[in-house]
Amino acid sequence: MTGPTGEIYRVDWLPGTDVLHGTCHCGAEHTAQDPVAMWEWMLAHPEGHEPRAAGQGQHRSRQGNGGVLGSRGKRS
Amino acid sequence: MPHLTSFARNQWYVAAYTYEVGRELLGRTVLGEPLVLYRSEEDGAAVALSDRCVHRRFPLSESRLDGDRIVCGYHGFTYDTTGTCVYVPGQKRIPRTARVASYPVVERDLFVWVWVGDPALADPEAVPRAPHMDSPDWTTVSGMEPIDADYGLLVDNLLDLSHETYLHGGYIGTPEVAETPIATEVDEGAGIVRVSRHMDDAECPPFYARSTGIEGRITRWQDIEYHAPCLYLLHSRIAPTGVLPEADGSDPNAFHTEITYAITPSGDGKVYDFWAVSRDFARSDDEVSTFLRDFNHTVVMQDVDALNLLQKTLASERTGYQELSINIDTGGLAARRILARLVEEGDKPMEKVR
Repeated sequence: MTGPTGEIYRVDWLPGTDVLHGTCHCGAEHTAQDPVAMWEWMLAHPEGHEPRAAGQGQHRSRQGNGGVLGSRGKRS
Repeated sequence: MPHLTSFARNQWYVAAYTYEVGRELLGRTVLGEPLVLYRSEEDGAAVALSDRCVHRRFPLSESRLDGDRIVCGYHGFTYDTTGTCVYVPGQKRIPRTARVASYPVVERDLFVWVWVGDPALADPEAVPRAPHMDSPDWTTVSGMEPIDADYGLLVDNLLDLSHETYLHGGYIGTPEVAETPIATEVDEGAGIVRVSRHMDDAECPPFYARSTGIEGRITRWQDIEYHAPCLYLLHSRIAPTGVLPEADGSDPNAFHTEITYAITPSGDGKVYDFWAVSRDFARSDDEVSTFLRDFNHTVVMQDVDALNLLQKTLASERTGYQELSINIDTGGLAARRILARLVEEGDKPMEKVR
């Protein structure tokens, strides 16, 4: 869900692992095993934020099954 | 040195529940500012004035009402609902500067919101919403506990619910809560932190077993929505394992509760913990209401005791201290940062800092 400015930072925690996966509002992604390091990377935008190259591996979708939230019937 | 988070000024804060403000003068301190609250006879509106007589600083909350005017209990200085002094003893002339501050008030969703800062900046539309608190579709029980702790400790506590497993084990906590990963989302512009924890298969804790009647294991979803600095919403969905919302988005086979907190800093090292449980099931069952009120109060007191202790402990650290964060802290760390930005912006309100 986007707010008034659309600046959304997201950090998922991959199930069964200790790995955090962060996505900046610019689309750049990052993995870390420490939330302090994750937020440092996130807030350094745009430094260290490479846009994902086209055709680079599998596109990671935030919606649908398989994410950390499983099947998510989201209540508004 | 005591653990002290600065206050974010130029924000709306909950000072009381609507039902607490009536014809008896109520004293509350918000962000270090003493307030006196009462309800006008003339139009039924809640009034918030500075709780200090301009004369010799006697608390107006310890005085009396004469119609809609407060008569100071010490020498009779009398104020109207705008805070203007309309009578002083012994003379006709009322000094020009005789007035107490009047605070902008919005009553919404069972809360009495007060703007602390420059009154000219108060925008009633900016009050964050909790419509379930005052809705025919929900039944709500509520209360408030003062905590002798820095308000930042309460924010830390509420943004990381893994503590339920340990601090509230056997009440609302089960092993699955701490073991289940979270997803964190920060809406930077709106100042909202969302933390989601969806447990597909978990033990049903007494808080829910005894209120919903569910026997056996559950699917349990916790969706936190924190509107910094004050309003915290926890959207909670409970259903027997495997029971999911319908394809059309309706959810008739699940039990929904809204756990609402208002985190209102009172003074340095003091916070008001407004808590509420709203439910969309067994809405007219008084026994369920009594149970949820008493049980949640017990849970809140577990937090109160823990944070009172933690505040004292931190205050005894003479030379400061280190913390260590792990994945469960992802949301709490984001909340701290948003609060720090609001503190900075609140101190220079004409210039929003990015």
